[in-house]
Amino acid sequence: MTPQLSQYLDNIRHKAKLEGADESVIISELEAHIEDKLQELTDSGLSPEEAMQTCLGEMGSTRLIARQIYEAYSQGTWKQVLLASMPHVLFGLLFVLNWWHYPGWLFIVLMAIFATTVYGWWRGKPTWVFSWLGYSLVPVLSVGLLLLYLPRGWSLLALPVYFPLALWWLFRIIRHTSRRDWIFTSLMLLPLPIIIGWFLAISSNGKLTEYSLQRIDYFAPWIGISFMALALTIATFIRLRQRWLRIGLLATSGCLTLTLVVHYTTGRLNTLTFLGLILVMWGVLLVPPLLERYLRGGRLFLWKHKDTPATT
Amino acid sequence: MVPKRDLLKGSSSYLLLSLLERQPMYGYQIVKELTARSQGYFKFKEGTLYPALHRLERSGLISGQWQMLPNGRQRRYYHLTEKGEAKLALERTQWQDFLTAVKLILQPGPSGS
Repeated sequence: MTPQLSQYLDNIRHKAKLEGADESVIISELEAHIEDKLQELTDSGLSPEEAMQTCLGEMGSTRLIARQIYEAYSQGTWKQVLLASMPHVLFGLLFVLNWWHYPGWLFIVLMAIFATTVYGWWRGKPTWVFSWLGYSLVPVLSVGLLLLYLPRGWSLLALPVYFPLALWWLFRIIRHTSRRDWIFTSLMLLPLPIIIGWFLAISSNGKLTEYSLQRIDYFAPWIGISFMALALTIATFIRLRQRWLRIGLLATSGCLTLTLVVHYTTGRLNTLTFLGLILVMWGVLLVPPLLERYLRGGRLFLWKHKDTPATT
Repeated sequence: MVPKRDLLKGSSSYLLLSLLERQPMYGYQIVKELTARSQGYFKFKEGTLYPALHRLERSGLISGQWQMLPNGRQRRYYHLTEKGEAKLALERTQWQDFLTAVKLILQPGPSGS
């Protein structure tokens, strides 16, 4: 395969963002088609360079082909809609039905999230697994919070160990997800600003007190509704084909849900906090594509070196 | 005037199902057959054929299978499924009704009527 053809197919591969097996089938078909076409063109008297140029021109731009491939594969089934929105619904129900009072329910929900995430991860990371993956980070956050309750000296010892480990774990997951498609990283992190918003609303000094629990009781229906709004967002996301519509949906829904959080907390979150949360939300949407570009740049760099003929 | 590409876009499923009705074909063969049978009328970017084929496959209307050629190369042949045959029959009836209606409008009517 010539470097030009490799680059053409590589561009389609990166832009189409398919799962491994589907990607392999369609790229192999395109490659076979191009080889047939090149053979025909060179048989008709064109030089290999002219044949390649004509062939790739008649195939179409990588952007056009990749967009159509993405749209052919992006729409999820109703089963996937149900699976993807389920963790948000479960979290919403915890608050709407006041299950959060019972450690048994909390344990069951967290175990269900953990088990489903592991199952999806090992089954090839289908689209629905990323919304579960976001909630599987909740226990990591909870451990951090619990460390604040250790005796003073122990907290000072534990937190410097916890923070690098938690950040390393988070970075690994984000990097892994971004390699597949940055939009799934945004999907995974979407509840983060909402959770931070509610946490700030119930706890002003970063600790959960008796008063904070009373505040959760007070806000529970609205907390539940905000998670249900996320469930609706994810359900719509899975059914949409066009990528730009999906990105627009995540941005709009994230900002609207945050506005709802600020509205329902009736003055407990000030304008500055709201702006901070909006910044976090935009970070959730903007950092993953930058990270993906960085990771892809590194991979392309390696590819270029691999295919460059050795010079003496 | 409507560009040929747009005409093809609106009827690509029907055209592809019709082509695959006669015999299983692979992508490059489909392009050649479509160009030959339409006498070069339908022009489109060849790479966009594959998203269309995969969309039909995901809908269960066609099915693709890799076959090894004697020269060691592989090709993916597509054939109609039962669901695809039923869909084709339905689309054919709709197209024939449409064409009949268009002909009735376009053909000159009897003078004085």
